[in-house]
Amino acid sequence: MKGRTIAFRLILAVSVCTTAILFAVLGFDYLHSRASLEREIDRNAHNLTRASVFHVETVLMSVQAATETLARALESAHFDSGEVRHLLRSSLEANPAIFGEAIAFAPALDDDGRERLEAPYFHRRDGHIEFVPVEQAYAYPDKDWFRRPRELRRPVWSEPYFDEGGGNVLMVTLSVPFFEQEDSGEQRFRGVVTADLALDWLTKLVSEIKVLDTGYAVLLSPSGTFITYPDADFILNESLFTLREDLGSGEQLSRLGQRLISGVEGSVNHTDLFGEPARLHFAPIEPAGWTLVLVLPEEEIYDDVRNLALTTLSIGVAGTLMMLLVVVLISRSITRPLGALVLATREIAAGHFDAPLPTCITDDEVGELTQAFGTMMRELSDHVRQLTLTTAVKERIESELKIAHDIQMSILPKMFPPLPDRDEIDLYALVEPAKEVGGDFYDFFQIDEEHFCLVIADVSGKGVPASLFMAVTKTLIKATAKSGRSSAEVMTRVNAELAQDNEQSMFVTVFCAILDLSSGEVIYTNAGHNPPFLIRADGAIELLVSGSSQLVLGVMEDVVYRTESLTLSKGERLFLYTDGVTEAMNPANQAFGEARVVQELERLRELNLRETTQAMVASVQDFAGSEPQSDDITIMLIEYQGLSD
Amino acid sequence: MDIQISHEQQASVVAVSGKLDTLTAPAYEKAVTELIDSGTTQMVIDFAELSYISSAGLRSLLVTAKMLKTKAGKLALANVTGGVRDVFEMAGFGSIFAMYDSVPAALEGL
Repeated sequence: MKGRTIAFRLILAVSVCTTAILFAVLGFDYLHSRASLEREIDRNAHNLTRASVFHVETVLMSVQAATETLARALESAHFDSGEVRHLLRSSLEANPAIFGEAIAFAPALDDDGRERLEAPYFHRRDGHIEFVPVEQAYAYPDKDWFRRPRELRRPVWSEPYFDEGGGNVLMVTLSVPFFEQEDSGEQRFRGVVTADLALDWLTKLVSEIKVLDTGYAVLLSPSGTFITYPDADFILNESLFTLREDLGSGEQLSRLGQRLISGVEGSVNHTDLFGEPARLHFAPIEPAGWTLVLVLPEEEIYDDVRNLALTTLSIGVAGTLMMLLVVVLISRSITRPLGALVLATREIAAGHFDAPLPTCITDDEVGELTQAFGTMMRELSDHVRQLTLTTAVKERIESELKIAHDIQMSILPKMFPPLPDRDEIDLYALVEPAKEVGGDFYDFFQIDEEHFCLVIADVSGKGVPASLFMAVTKTLIKATAKSGRSSAEVMTRVNAELAQDNEQSMFVTVFCAILDLSSGEVIYTNAGHNPPFLIRADGAIELLVSGSSQLVLGVMEDVVYRTESLTLSKGERLFLYTDGVTEAMNPANQAFGEARVVQELERLRELNLRETTQAMVASVQDFAGSEPQSDDITIMLIEYQGLSD
Repeated sequence: MDIQISHEQQASVVAVSGKLDTLTAPAYEKAVTELIDSGTTQMVIDFAELSYISSAGLRSLLVTAKMLKTKAGKLALANVTGGVRDVFEMAGFGSIFAMYDSVPAALEGL
């Protein structure tokens, strides 16, 4: 299972970030544009409402002004019926907005005591002004248009109505009362001047108000009845309060209706009074008490915002997808060479230094990596070749060193016992070589009939120089040890030879002893070597330390060595060794030490020389454990057995 | 092994710590050879922190002494104690090196 790739992580990070940013921007943009759109629409709607109201009010005011002028004229004097007709005709001629005018006098009793009605009426017909006399049967004093101004004593606009006689147009009538000043100061009602206003222009005007695409305007009468409505069937037949009966108009809608016709200006958000949810702007048309309502369907308002948001969203999504594609491509371009590098690395790990590297070198970090990788490969290849060569050389040297070591070991005497035809001494010696060629050696030989020479030595350092120095030393000692010479004389001569032209400052520690086979007397010289142990016949173990130690061989030419002596009794032993024994280290970095040598010698005292020596080596090796042997372990053990009987 | 070299008025003091054996002797010889090549003739080697010296280490000291001798210089050893002292004594080096109990004493003795 492959882990999450760089490409995957990049895509994840980028898409999370961009999506978050996208939605934040989109949300902000949506809210902001919705708010600004609402403001814009509100402003437009407000202006439109104002303009329309103003337009309608202008017409209505002019009609009212003309009618009131006529009423004031009638108050100023008494006119006969001919003059009244003339006044009416003139007024109608002067006011083209008015469809028809009448002057309806309050009923008066005629001479016969009958109620006489007089209400001359002029109206327009086919471009002319026509007089229509009142029919006596038409009892107008009971009609609203006459009764209400009389009662209210002020101009009254009627509810709109269809004038079924006059072309079936929507009409509204203004009734202005006129009075006569009584002597008592009381205003006596004399009649009503009426002006009929055809509302076809108004219907047209309002229906032409266009708000957005689907918005429309509605005109309401003081009672909430529709004066204009997109659906002509509603006109005068429906009102605000009947509109939503089907939905069981709640208190809320009813209150809203009351507010619309209450003669104030305002706006309402999100109401379904006119069916679909809409925004309403309304304003009163003063003289007639009407209300103009602009209906702005919300769906259309927010359609724009929604469309804008959708467009932005699509652009954003498309942009994000494109960016992701680019990210994928870039990460591929990064990871493809990396993948090839991984393959090349595996090849190299398998030892194929000629594995091909990605060739499409770009100028970026990946390109640099590829180049660096190529350099590394070449150098690694060179290095390995070098190493192979070096290893071969090293192996050859090691092999030669092994041979040198074998030769070195081969020059050590290995005849045990050393004097098979004599019984005075027994001897056993061995070198347990370290991995690296060392400079330890031992030697023993008969000098003359009575004297036997024992040597143990350790050359400073290791390797070929040490082994050469050892061979020289061994040869010199053997050549120098002649009958009649003490060990000190031998050491002095050998030292002089070794120290001469010793550029390398190599030196050798030597313990050299000459044993008198018949007496057991040992004359010895210790040139800087580890002092041997003397194992007495009674089991006591002594360290052969001299008063002051003598210098190793090879350091200074003119050193004169001195001898010391001891006498061995029958069964006593001399244990000679090199520092490979006492300085063998265990993993805890402790040395074997002289104390352990003594301990082991005591433990091994019943064994013969060979067994003792080998057991001692085994003890040292046990002690060292896993710690590699760093120095040769050399031991020589001699037992004086005295003269045979 | 670690080597710290300091310069007193009349001599260089070489403090050798750790082990001076076959493995570390070449590094010691290199450091001291450079010091002598740069003109040092009076030298004190401080063994206060030396825990072990092998025959290879002793040989390196002989090399140092010999190099200084050819330049008519002098070498003194300070703080040769414990196991190191035992090795010195056993090899008879006590008679060929001037050894002192402290660095100031060694500087004095040069």
